[in-house]
Amino acid sequence: MSNSRTLLRMEGISKAYAGVAVLRDARLEAHGGEAIALIGANGAGKSTLMNILGGEVTPDHGRISIDGSEVAIRSAREAALKGIAFVHQELAMLPTLSVADNIFIDNLPTSGPFISTAEMKRRSRELLERLGSSVSPESRVEELSIGDRQLVEIARALRHQPQIIIFDEPTSSLTEPERRRLFKVISGLKAEGVVIIYITHFVDEIFSVCERVTIMRNGETVWSSPIGEVDPAKVVHLMLGVSAGEGRIREPMASQGESLLHVSGLSRSGILKDISFEIRAGEIVGLWGLLGSGRTELLRAMVGLDPIDNGTILWNGQNGVSKITPRQLHREVGFVTEDRRGEGIHLPLSIRDNLALPNLKSLLNHFHLIDTGRERALAQAMIGRLHIKASGQDQAVGTLSGGNQQKIVFGRWLAANPRLFLLDEPTRGLDVSAKSEIMRLIVDLANQGCGVLLVSSELEELMRVGDRYLVMNRGSLVDELAGSASAYELMAAIAESGEGNGSWR
Amino acid sequence: MSGLRLRAIAEFLMRRGFLVVFIIVFLFFSVVTRHFFELDNLLNILSAMAPLAIAAAGLALVVMSGRLDISIGSIAFLSCAIGALLMRANGLSPVLAALIVVGCGALLGAINAFIVVVLRVNSLIATLSTMIAYRGIALQLTDALLVQLPPDVRFIGNARIGPIPVDILLMFLVVILVHLLQSRTVFGRRIMAMGNDISVARRLGLPVDLTGFNTFVLSGVLASLGGILTTIQNGAVSPFLGSGWEFTALAAIVVGGISLLGGRGTIFFSVLPGVFIFEMIRNGLTNLSANPYSYRLVSGVVIFAAMYADALKSGQGLRSRILRSRT
Amino acid sequence: MLRRKLARYSDRSGSTTGRLPNNLTASRLVQWGSRVVLLAGMLILIEIYAPRFFRYQNVVNILLQVSLLGLMSIGMTVVMIAGGIDLSLPANMAMGAVLGAMYMRSGGNWMVSCFIMVATGGLVGLVNGIAVSRLKMIPFVVTLAMMTILAGSAVWLTNSLSISQISNAFLSLFNARPIFGIPMSIWLGAAVTVAATVLMRSTVFGRWVYAVGLNARAARVAGVPVDRVILISYVISGLMAGLTSILLTARLGSASANMGNDGVVLDIVSACVVGGVSIYGGSGRVPGAVFGAVLITVLSNAMNLIGVSYYLSLIIKGAVIIAFIATERGRREPNE
Repeated sequence: MSNSRTLLRMEGISKAYAGVAVLRDARLEAHGGEAIALIGANGAGKSTLMNILGGEVTPDHGRISIDGSEVAIRSAREAALKGIAFVHQELAMLPTLSVADNIFIDNLPTSGPFISTAEMKRRSRELLERLGSSVSPESRVEELSIGDRQLVEIARALRHQPQIIIFDEPTSSLTEPERRRLFKVISGLKAEGVVIIYITHFVDEIFSVCERVTIMRNGETVWSSPIGEVDPAKVVHLMLGVSAGEGRIREPMASQGESLLHVSGLSRSGILKDISFEIRAGEIVGLWGLLGSGRTELLRAMVGLDPIDNGTILWNGQNGVSKITPRQLHREVGFVTEDRRGEGIHLPLSIRDNLALPNLKSLLNHFHLIDTGRERALAQAMIGRLHIKASGQDQAVGTLSGGNQQKIVFGRWLAANPRLFLLDEPTRGLDVSAKSEIMRLIVDLANQGCGVLLVSSELEELMRVGDRYLVMNRGSLVDELAGSASAYELMAAIAESGEGNGSWR
Repeated sequence: MSGLRLRAIAEFLMRRGFLVVFIIVFLFFSVVTRHFFELDNLLNILSAMAPLAIAAAGLALVVMSGRLDISIGSIAFLSCAIGALLMRANGLSPVLAALIVVGCGALLGAINAFIVVVLRVNSLIATLSTMIAYRGIALQLTDALLVQLPPDVRFIGNARIGPIPVDILLMFLVVILVHLLQSRTVFGRRIMAMGNDISVARRLGLPVDLTGFNTFVLSGVLASLGGILTTIQNGAVSPFLGSGWEFTALAAIVVGGISLLGGRGTIFFSVLPGVFIFEMIRNGLTNLSANPYSYRLVSGVVIFAAMYADALKSGQGLRSRILRSRT
Repeated sequence: MLRRKLARYSDRSGSTTGRLPNNLTASRLVQWGSRVVLLAGMLILIEIYAPRFFRYQNVVNILLQVSLLGLMSIGMTVVMIAGGIDLSLPANMAMGAVLGAMYMRSGGNWMVSCFIMVATGGLVGLVNGIAVSRLKMIPFVVTLAMMTILAGSAVWLTNSLSISQISNAFLSLFNARPIFGIPMSIWLGAAVTVAATVLMRSTVFGRWVYAVGLNARAARVAGVPVDRVILISYVISGLMAGLTSILLTARLGSASANMGNDGVVLDIVSACVVGGVSIYGGSGRVPGAVFGAVLITVLSNAMNLIGVSYYLSLIIKGAVIIAFIATERGRREPNE
């Protein structure tokens, strides 16, 4: 049966990095005029699959065909020529230049030696109107909201008359009205026969925008069907592959321990709004929310890496409960950032140097010089305790595997025996066995009486260890759920609070 | 919070600050010295600033692309030294000599470009090295002595069209051309794109390396043009030609509103006022018969203040940029 | 083609291929090997063209120059490892010398004069440090402006003349040759080198400096007081300039604003770069910088002896810096 609509087919796509398979026989099929939701947990492979389509990554195996004929996409340029446009989550904007400049920067219209600004503005206006945007082509991009910038990015993509547009997490930074506007834009594009691939975390959204859904898990496509054949709960189930409660390392327990940390009224204009919570000794609190909800910002604000406008932190230290500043809290807790390679470790330094850095003051000898013997001993102890696989403590941390690097990050803090750990995406980018090791480590720490505040975008992971959950959305703590909550309940906690939250931006 | 108040005042000062300083200095000198406000004196200032203004326009392009070129003074010196020596030794015609000077400027700029773009050396270190190397070569060639221009060429220094000296007209012409280049051509837009975010520019497929290369060549050409002008004004190539140009040009650029981080600013309304201020200060101090060494001190302080303002401005801008694009 | 070859040398942050350690050792061997070869080559050339070079008196002379250049290079090294740069070092040194000499000229005690010299250095360093760490100004710009201010002021204060009324006690102390006939200055230089090496290798502060230079963000997360470290690095650099004022004034028997001209900055940067200190921060060692100072001093003297003009020597030094930086492994993308 011949179909005059565009047909995109990706089959048998496999890709591995350094022996670790990221995609295994993944497939995707989409028709012109429809939006297909590409859903999966972190690390499921959806970004890689789309990067392959967008030409930024080449697959090890598999074929891509458009309208029946196979295509080879070796670069972003080739992808654009084949009619594929990619609107990335991180917009490629040049802030001090105008909207029109940004749209046409790689192909500016000229008359003679000069740029024809009139023509550029006219064409920009046309593209923007097509998208229902009233932004003036002359405004500087740095003055625009994220939603408007996104439309500029889409306008740029539209210049090439694409047949296929990929949207990567388009709504994570948008306000509610901007989101609705985006959906309208997508409908308009669908009506023109464009294939839309919509990558998102927000399960509820796909039901308003998409006709089909493809779900990926662990590098494989586990489900592909029209949207009517699933409901949110089923989608979540397919995404995670494990129902709530299964795979628990530790059963949720109401903590009997004393209160370690009490935060109240933490605010930072535009980022955090009046956050209050408590963490007790021996419990693991999962901080749940999606990208852009402010979880990382909260953790960073707590230890003084980012400023705060208001808020009190009460810490139960050696001298009892007292009010402390974020900087002081930094000295008391173990802090694992989400940017392991950028902020968690010093890549070129050795294992030993990395482990020693926050603990230097305790490694001094009589002359206040660093005692290399004690340094080595510390490193050796940590390597043993954390089972770090390396050729020796002199090995540069940058050459270790992700899992081992993460252990080093932990190791830096363990030596000081803090009573509280703030962990931001500690298992991001790790393979399954490394993830388990880290999770077990976290549970060990809690069992020994430490309090843990764990941030993770992977719900299934939080659910393996969480004693209770704090839910964040757009800078506020919107809910608290017991450890026995189901995955669906947790997903719902975000979806509901996403509606009409207004913009405090 | 008083901190916020201070911030607001500082912000206001920074936006209009330049204008405020300009007016204050202008009024100060007009009042305190006798001859400052006369047309003759003002024309003097404009004439004196012409060579530096031209060179600064070239530097502005490099700065807008996100890099630095502190070798402009040395390029001016070396290229003019070569031209002047050739004229003296081989009796070259002035026009031909001028072409050779500009050619040298382009070549020296291309060497800078090669080191920064191809060898990927930090532009500060690269042009610091070439600044000293080029000056070294020039001093070697001239034996650190004055190289007089042949008598028939020297008259050009006093040429006028109507009441306005040629060098002032030349300055306006060149600066306007560079302004048009930066604001209305594809090349200019690419420079701004690079200065904004070089990795984004690359991602968008812009020829970042080629553009960067050309900015250095252009900077060299304009530096040598400025050198020609100052040589004509003085009737000779002095061993101090171009000395200190880089600092003053950089300061003028920043004071005039172009950010050292790149991607921002215009040429005409930044370079000319900026250079004017410094020349005005020098002229004013001379009129006051102030100690000749005080100029360096005063300009150093002004540079410091201007850089501080720039740092604050970019800090502000950076912070708001981060806030907006948080995901 | 050249680009692709050179691109291989630049480190993309995040190579997990495990090849790094081997590459690191191989390239470091090459880099240090080339330095030793360079030095050896020069010494051989000198032996051929100017054997008088190796006379005792000349060697002591060379070592004197090395101490002076070395002290300032040590200061610059600390700042560079922390990720900054201090272009005002020579001007700072000249200013300190001028101020101290002026004090001595007006009849002041030489010990107070020494204090003035060092204090000036430290104060200037403090201003630089505050500007960079607190006011978040760009190091190049700040120290450049400072250099202009100091140079201008020094010229103004001295009216372009040199001050030669230096107290005899001062001269005799610092020009003395107590042991093996080796001058005081060299012993001082050696002592400071040892102290600085210990500082950078074995103290908490030293580790902090490397951490900040390598990755200031990660250092902050690890609890390092980044701003304070940067501030102190500039103060140290200033103090080194101050120390150098004392020794150079003693050696010359006078102080002038010209002591810190353009060429000196180039020499300092050359010494550091050739000595393995990365301008991007985070790597390099004090002994390396001192070795670099040796290399540069020998190079200068060799060129002098062979009859190369001062100006040509500037060119050669510039080329040497570029050559060393261009082939430095693990270069990050230059964004300035």
